[in-house]
Amino acid sequence: MSAAPRPEGIPGSSLTGPFPVGVYAARLRQRLREFTRVQVFGEVFGFKAGRARVWFELRDGAGALPCSMWRGDWDALGIADLADGAQIVAAGGCDYYPGSRTSSPSFSFTVTGLRLAGEGDLLAQIERLRRTLHAEGLTEPQKRLPRPVLPRTIGVVTGEGGKARDDVLAGLRRRGWGGRVVWAFAPVQDRHAAPAITRAVQDLAACEPVEVIVVARGGGSLADLFAFCDETLCRTVAMLRVPVISSVGHHSDHTLIDDVAAVACSTPTHAAEAAVPVDCASARADLRGHAARLERQSRRAIVERARTLARLSRAPAHHVERHRTRLHQQLRELRAASARAVAEGERAGRRRAAALERNAQLGRDHARRLDTLAMALAAHDPQRTLERGYALVEGPGGAPVTSAAAAATWPELKLRMRDGTVRVRPDRDVG
Amino acid sequence: MSETATAPTYESACARIEAIIARLDSGEAGLRETLALCQEGRTLVEFCAGELDAVGQGLEELKLGELVARLEAGQAA
Repeated sequence: MSAAPRPEGIPGSSLTGPFPVGVYAARLRQRLREFTRVQVFGEVFGFKAGRARVWFELRDGAGALPCSMWRGDWDALGIADLADGAQIVAAGGCDYYPGSRTSSPSFSFTVTGLRLAGEGDLLAQIERLRRTLHAEGLTEPQKRLPRPVLPRTIGVVTGEGGKARDDVLAGLRRRGWGGRVVWAFAPVQDRHAAPAITRAVQDLAACEPVEVIVVARGGGSLADLFAFCDETLCRTVAMLRVPVISSVGHHSDHTLIDDVAAVACSTPTHAAEAAVPVDCASARADLRGHAARLERQSRRAIVERARTLARLSRAPAHHVERHRTRLHQQLRELRAASARAVAEGERAGRRRAAALERNAQLGRDHARRLDTLAMALAAHDPQRTLERGYALVEGPGGAPVTSAAAAATWPELKLRMRDGTVRVRPDRDVG
Repeated sequence: MSETATAPTYESACARIEAIIARLDSGEAGLRETLALCQEGRTLVEFCAGELDAVGQGLEELKLGELVARLEAGQAA
């Protein structure tokens, strides 16, 4: 690659050059490396470990220095990643990466030695203030404030161009909420931030329609979020009569405004959802359900009672009707039973009459036979023979004597004749 | 926060509606109480519906200065 032709300088300028920037950058690196190597101390922020180097900033109240260290030197120290606020002593010197057409230049204090010197002043200051706020009870008033579940107007303090603004709107829309958002934009990370944020929450709280205030900011280093640890801001928020929902930094960040606010959320979206705890769409559906149930209960209360009354009013008539039906039934059964008894009696009478008839016939038959027998017997009656003039010889006992020999044996015989009996003595000689 | 201690809020109205429905579902309320509870419930449902309607008209964005100007002009509800 050939060097670009040198252009003309700025007419009238007293400065030398123009020089190719790469030449100047290389010269700058050389001069910076000539700076005396020293030890510096301060608080670490934004520690990042790459494959070749580690980077962090060293800060104090008056200034800051970007630092880097070869990864091998860092690993040789055998200490864990540095947390924001960690106080260290770093040994090294200035260096400059001159960059190129395709890479950006950068300045850093190249650290060759490092020692941990304890917790940083910044963190210690925050912790002291945190303890003071807790001791004064300033973390409680906001949490005791009633928070509307369906505010009509929400105040939001955030950076005008920050992503937090879009996140808050997204959270509100996710709730189906379509009320009024009042923006109070304020710087959120420079030295003007804390007073501006304090003024913004005060102004919002002074507006009567504002029912809840969201203070939102995206992530950043503790130094970036330091404005939200400002004592005046925290005391102001603690004493507001409007609930404040804070969402500052990421999950791991914990600023003091989180302590004093009514609710502390991890993201601006969550803060918006906390500001409107109700899902408006499902709340509308629930309300329709409640209305329908009330109507059902109201209708049921009247209709069911009317049915009960009607049933009760019909009860006596039903009772009488039931008894009447029962009596009719019993009457029918009685009649049927009587008819059955009469029929049965008739049948039994007929059976008995038939039996009597049969017995009478039998008697008549016997009588006829008796007559026949009597006539037959009469035909053989000895009396009839006597009537014709014959006599019957009987012994003394009345036994018939039917031979002369037998007659000879009896001393006396009786002759029974038609009109009487004559005693006779047989004459033996005659025999 | 313009509501007084006696003014209903959306959450208190919802809680009361649920209590009313629980009472009605229990079947222990007499006719007169049932009708009174239904009437109270209807009123509360209408109130809640109004509250939901108030935040259902579409999200409106204002800057603080605009709200202050409206308040001063007596337009802000």
